[in-house]
Amino acid sequence: MRYADFTPYDLVLLAQGLGVTVGLFTLTTLVGLLIAALFTLVDYYRVPVLRQVIVTISEALKNSPVLVQLFLVFFGLPAFFHINMTPFVAASLTISLNTAAFAFVIFRSGIDAVEADQVAAAKVYGHSRWQILRFVLLPQAAAFSIGPLVGLLVNQLQVTSLISVIGVFDLTKIGNILNLRTLEPFIVWTVVGLLYYALAKLLASVGARIEKRLRRSVVWEGI
Amino acid sequence: MLEGFLLTVFACTLAIIGAVIIGALMASLRTSGNRIVRGVAFAYSDVFRNTPFIVQLFFFFYGLPEIGIYIGAFETGVIALSIIGGAFVSDVIRSGILAVDQGVIEAAKVSGLSRWTIFTKIVLPIALRTSVRPMGSVLINMVLTSSILSTITINELTGTAKIVASTTFKPFEVYLVLLVLYASLTYALSLLINTVHRRLNRAMDTGGAA
Repeated sequence: MRYADFTPYDLVLLAQGLGVTVGLFTLTTLVGLLIAALFTLVDYYRVPVLRQVIVTISEALKNSPVLVQLFLVFFGLPAFFHINMTPFVAASLTISLNTAAFAFVIFRSGIDAVEADQVAAAKVYGHSRWQILRFVLLPQAAAFSIGPLVGLLVNQLQVTSLISVIGVFDLTKIGNILNLRTLEPFIVWTVVGLLYYALAKLLASVGARIEKRLRRSVVWEGI
Repeated sequence: MLEGFLLTVFACTLAIIGAVIIGALMASLRTSGNRIVRGVAFAYSDVFRNTPFIVQLFFFFYGLPEIGIYIGAFETGVIALSIIGGAFVSDVIRSGILAVDQGVIEAAKVSGLSRWTIFTKIVLPIALRTSVRPMGSVLINMVLTSSILSTITINELTGTAKIVASTTFKPFEVYLVLLVLYASLTYALSLLINTVHRRLNRAMDTGGAA
């Protein structure tokens, strides 16, 4: 057996890479959505200054490459602020914020998509701004947002592959290692690609199921 | 970094042209009557949209020489970028084609135009016009994606910034500038897209469609 041959242990490596990718994706999605929800709250209550800051940050994150953001966080922040940064922390931070920037826009347009008449009606009944958000806007906005949100997350799953560049041992990094050792690019990258593809399809089908449920609970069948 | 900037603009321009051509072709195939043709075109867009660009890039970069195709990193990068861009563009144009008013097609059929003429002279031009705006966000995404080309030794904007960052020991400042550069590049592109959109729709209104 040549050193360059595939070994059963390669499967273990691939599984580990897959685990890191899935784990980091799940973590950044949860954190990202949480930040996006906070951003949306700030926007909804029209908090002065903070609101403009958030919009600016979100625009900057949406209009620059994730790779550059990763470099800025991983190489830039430690050099400028003299702090320690591991690849994993840098990756989690960057992808979370990136997800948040895009999800924020989706949430906001979800809220905007609810008819203004409904909000006016709720106001007339004397409901507070919080009650309007919780009982009028949120259920409908959730149903509107879930479609674009799933699309975003499928895209963010692909984006996680970039963290391999700053040295996180995710699926792409493992692919890189196997590729350089075995010199079988077609086999290695096809397998890695298929794994990503399967994950994306899984995510999309779960998303479709959630969307169905949310749409059912919205009484007014919009659009 | 100016050289890198120009290389990014050059690579993106080539890739965008490639992506629009591939996208228009694939969209046409996806709306064809033949099921197999439709299936193949759908699979193309499905596969390339659901796998990471960096994986596709490595696939071509390391894979092509394996089968005896020796082209430079730059060419490989442009081709890979065109292919993934084409997958997204084909989706946009496809919905543009499906949105063309059935009445227009009926009218063209009644006028005795052949299927080919109807498609190339009537359906496709209308579809391209309505697709300009959604296509814009795809193209902006392509510009951002082009930064990944730096991973296969192409010294475009991100690649040169990496070099500058490591020689000046000021990574924070360099990458911040880089972020602003990309943002202005995408902003310029969005202005361009708005102009094209406005101009095409004006042509539509006055009936001056070619």
